[in-house]
Amino acid sequence: MIKSINKAGLDRLWERLAAAGPLYLPVKEGPAVLFRPWAEGAAAALDVTQATVSPKEIFFPRDETYLKFRREGEKLALAESGTPAGPAIAFGLRSCDLRAVELLDLVFRGQEPADALYGRRRENTMLVALACGQPDPSCFCGAFGINPADAPGADVMAWWDGDVLVMEARTARGEALFAAAGELLQESAAGSKPLAPATAEFGLPLEDLPERLKSRFYDPAWDRLYRGCLACGGCTYFCPTCHCFDVQDYGSQERGERFRCWDSCMFGRFTLMAGGHNPRPTQKERVRNRFLHKLQYFPENFGRFACVGCGRCLRSCPVNLDIVQAIRALGGETVEQR
Amino acid sequence: MAEHHISAAAKIRAAVAQDLLSGRISLLLGWEKGHFQWQSRPLFARDGADLERLAWDSFCAVNLSRYLPEELKENEKVGVLVKGCDSRALNRLVQDRAVPRERVVAYGLPCPGMLDAGRLVEAAGGWPDEIAEANGRVVLKGGGRESEVHRDSLLLDKCRHCLYPDPVACDQLLLAPVGNREAPDRFKAVEEREQLSAGERYAYWEKELQRCLRCYACRQICPACSCRECFVEQEQPRWLGKAYDASETFLFHLIRAYHVAGRCIDCGECERSCPVGIPLQELNRKLIKDLNALYGPYEAGLDPEREPPLLTYAPNDPAAFTEK
Repeated sequence: MIKSINKAGLDRLWERLAAAGPLYLPVKEGPAVLFRPWAEGAAAALDVTQATVSPKEIFFPRDETYLKFRREGEKLALAESGTPAGPAIAFGLRSCDLRAVELLDLVFRGQEPADALYGRRRENTMLVALACGQPDPSCFCGAFGINPADAPGADVMAWWDGDVLVMEARTARGEALFAAAGELLQESAAGSKPLAPATAEFGLPLEDLPERLKSRFYDPAWDRLYRGCLACGGCTYFCPTCHCFDVQDYGSQERGERFRCWDSCMFGRFTLMAGGHNPRPTQKERVRNRFLHKLQYFPENFGRFACVGCGRCLRSCPVNLDIVQAIRALGGETVEQR
Repeated sequence: MAEHHISAAAKIRAAVAQDLLSGRISLLLGWEKGHFQWQSRPLFARDGADLERLAWDSFCAVNLSRYLPEELKENEKVGVLVKGCDSRALNRLVQDRAVPRERVVAYGLPCPGMLDAGRLVEAAGGWPDEIAEANGRVVLKGGGRESEVHRDSLLLDKCRHCLYPDPVACDQLLLAPVGNREAPDRFKAVEEREQLSAGERYAYWEKELQRCLRCYACRQICPACSCRECFVEQEQPRWLGKAYDASETFLFHLIRAYHVAGRCIDCGECERSCPVGIPLQELNRKLIKDLNALYGPYEAGLDPEREPPLLTYAPNDPAAFTEK
């Protein structure tokens, strides 16, 4: 089913859709764009190629309380903290974002035990993808077989036809969105569906890369690659596929909360163990781990690369240390051939 | 890139090659080109082949002095290219005893100010394919468009308020000085914020800080953040919770601002590094302004012999806390 809406009518659409639950949209905050629940007066930054921070935080928030505890005499009373169970809409995800959700699904839902917190948010959230008309020079999703103009897995696929936003419902849930929007949407023909725009190639040697990387663990190239890394956690936090978290308690002897929050393998203490041993003692091991996780370990575990070519690390790393560099430095010819 | 930049890079290469190849220094910290023309990233040059990649253009914003403490663990003597701000960072690190000055060879590069990729995109109406500079103007070409703009309009925020583009401390000046600058607007944003009520100010910072990812890039790149262990990481006691709570995020940024007060060289690397663009320099400049008012004008990192105001005591120091 295909419907459409004029750009001028979008504010009314947001208002209508947000009535039933949170409506996450890319919103400009300062120079950055983040997915935020729509609030009256908020302008959706649908023209921005990509949100600065990936929409993964809709399903995997920065922090999330899951348990509350309270001392009752000699006992500890536990209560599950309610993860929102109501419906939500994520509007304006790009094809790369959708692929990233697919990959996060493998981690959080594709194996036992399934992650209830992630699962609940994921199941309750309708995904509206927006075709990418003009990838920017840092975008290389094409290298991972992603079509910027079409996102499998979306409940609704949307694209611009001039000032008209055309939407195609692809699932029953997508059709429910049409029903909720009611008269705000017009019956529409598909018109000209956008063609897949070309993305940067960077000449990445991806074929058999996980296999080749197996012998590169001690490659001196890592030593050169990691040098500039500041050891901040930026890349892991705006990356759409990074998903590591920490579990922390907050509170007193009497009562408190247990929550999980984002954590980063770029931080020195990430692998610090009780007793003081740290298996990744320097930034070199940490940088190597992050890239091998994306390019070797994840493919070994799930048969997929854990990179979607969104280009966020190419755009936002303060010292321009990114995954394209890593693939080029480690993925090409062997040391002997160099 | 502009002609004078191409020749400048060659000049720099020639000047440092002798020291690097003769072994006077075993590592040179410089810049090399990234994937795009608007990216120049840190270069760790150990031989002639590495030096071939050395770049000096309008995108060498990364402060290299910050790498010195770590690299000096493995190298007896390190060479580093320093712009005005980087040279003050070097002074800062020396004053904090984080870097022994005699083990560093600083090559000075007077800096015309670095350009902001975001502003290039805005000016060009998209990502430019070609960026050319001449006579204080920048020509941007791409997507069938061509636009010409004032170089100053494309400067990074951190460079707009730069007072000392010429290195203030170096062993060798490699290019012609560009002269000190005036920055009359340096405290403008701070003054605007001062006009707000406490509640309005809180609301302003709450809004700005709510997007903080707590990635700590601001801390990691800061030449004044020289603690071996940050209070953020300490666990016994744990000063800072890891939840993305406004009070926790405030605590981090305010403690950091106070901790570098009087030592912040106003290089703006924290703000440039912030992936979500939080105007962190406003916090630091507020403290610079207050310290100047309380203890007299002081520019951190300018004179390595002059200790920061909060690290010294003078009998006539204002004592607002104890006066009734």
